[in-house]
Amino acid sequence: MPLLEVTDLKSYYGDFQALFGITLSVAESQTIAIIGANGAGKTTFLNSVIGLNSEKSGAILFDGEDITHVRADRISRRGIAMVPEGRRLFPSLTVEENLLAGTTTRRSGLWTLERVFALFPALPAMRDRLAMRLSGGEQQMVAVGRALLANPRLLLCDEISLGLAPKIVDQIYTCFDQIRATGISIILVEQDIARARVSADHVYCFLEGRISLQGASGSLDLRDISRAYFGT
Amino acid sequence: MLWVETVINGILLGALFALFGIGLAFAFGIMRIVNAAHGEMIVLSAYVAAMLLQGIHVNAFVMIVPVAAIMFVLGYVLQAVILNRVLGNDPIPALMVTFGLSIILRNLMLEFFGADPRSINAGPIQLLGINVFGISIGVLPLLVLAIVVVLLVVFRRFIRVSGLGRTLRATADDFQIVQIFGVNYRRMYCIAMGIAVALSSVAGLMIAMRTTYSPFTGVDRLLLAFEVVIIGGLGSLWWMLLGGFILGIAELVSLQINPNAGLLYAHLVFFVVLMVMPSGLSNWRRVA
Repeated sequence: MPLLEVTDLKSYYGDFQALFGITLSVAESQTIAIIGANGAGKTTFLNSVIGLNSEKSGAILFDGEDITHVRADRISRRGIAMVPEGRRLFPSLTVEENLLAGTTTRRSGLWTLERVFALFPALPAMRDRLAMRLSGGEQQMVAVGRALLANPRLLLCDEISLGLAPKIVDQIYTCFDQIRATGISIILVEQDIARARVSADHVYCFLEGRISLQGASGSLDLRDISRAYFGT
Repeated sequence: MLWVETVINGILLGALFALFGIGLAFAFGIMRIVNAAHGEMIVLSAYVAAMLLQGIHVNAFVMIVPVAAIMFVLGYVLQAVILNRVLGNDPIPALMVTFGLSIILRNLMLEFFGADPRSINAGPIQLLGINVFGISIGVLPLLVLAIVVVLLVVFRRFIRVSGLGRTLRATADDFQIVQIFGVNYRRMYCIAMGIAVALSSVAGLMIAMRTTYSPFTGVDRLLLAFEVVIIGGLGSLWWMLLGGFILGIAELVSLQINPNAGLLYAHLVFFVVLMVMPSGLSNWRRVA
């Protein structure tokens, strides 16, 4: 049984329909990537899964249970966490407080503050600084650490590389190998196709709210991807 | 000596004004709701204390704990039943609802308790005074100031250090993102409103020991709360305390000059401060 099973998901913002029947699944310990242009519905998809977008139809099963119309705070307590687009750190909280904000899911597991600090050795020295004073890359580490401290079974990552220098992105993705080794399942939303293919087992390409291409990372041809990406 | 005494007593009174403002500002800071019924809740706390004191004969100060607990529950319920229904980007619906509520509360209090001004008897302590270098200071106001300072220190520690305080601050920053970390933000709003009302209600109870209250005093209390917030600058606890001191001193000094002035001079001081420093004391260098 897959950990997450989404069937015919349609999402709306008022009169505007953003997703037109998405069906996909994530197995235990699997990493999938979702790629696509701006406005393809990637962020809407993640927000719908975690419950931040409530205008939706279809079925979302997590660990066999229907969570389609469950509130976001309850979904996160069941074991889904997210690194939101643009990080969305809490501006008036320090680095350490931002990380601890992840623990309000009250889930026990591998991840503790010490372990997150071990994963990102740059962070302990700035634990008492306001999170917004950090560089973009450091902020992204805090956002990832915060999500890990929720001890999720499924981690949603929304455009981690957005606006960061390639070298910083490399560092963060290196850490992802360690995160994946803990057996967690991950959905990566990426605009960087090459990185998505390297990091994920399975790639889905979204185009205007639909899946335009999918397959195991190795099996996809770059030309097919570019066609599915731009819809040409 | 009379003037020194007046200033000191003004500070002691101002500490209570500060608590009115801090409760109002806390609710606004967490959920961007201006509670126009704040003043009536403060007055209600005095009636609640008076009712309890009729049944249980203890010193009025003992009532601080049960009154704070009762007012916390009332604030929590107010948020859960009414205010959580009008959340949104538009602050007007919440303002309208609480404005309506203030009218309802005022008239309910009038119906149940009558229009006569009342006062809470704090017992023999009310008449005690101590002499410091020839200045006589009442024991009651000193005790009140001590309670306010302890309350503020505990409140600040709770907000800064405790896990719930951290979650409240995070909710104020981004109510959407806290949800993906297991936080029911509507419940946090209820807790915040409960704390806000309870905090100001303690002040409402204590001010009823030194001045009178009636169902109509809520308006004055709310006005003072607003002035404290505006003079002190939103979100700065100690500046708001200073704002309260200024208003308290202005009120007592003006009563010395003209016993019929009431709050007139306090409002005038507020007006002048607002003209000179439009962003409040804590931001006086910044232009509004």
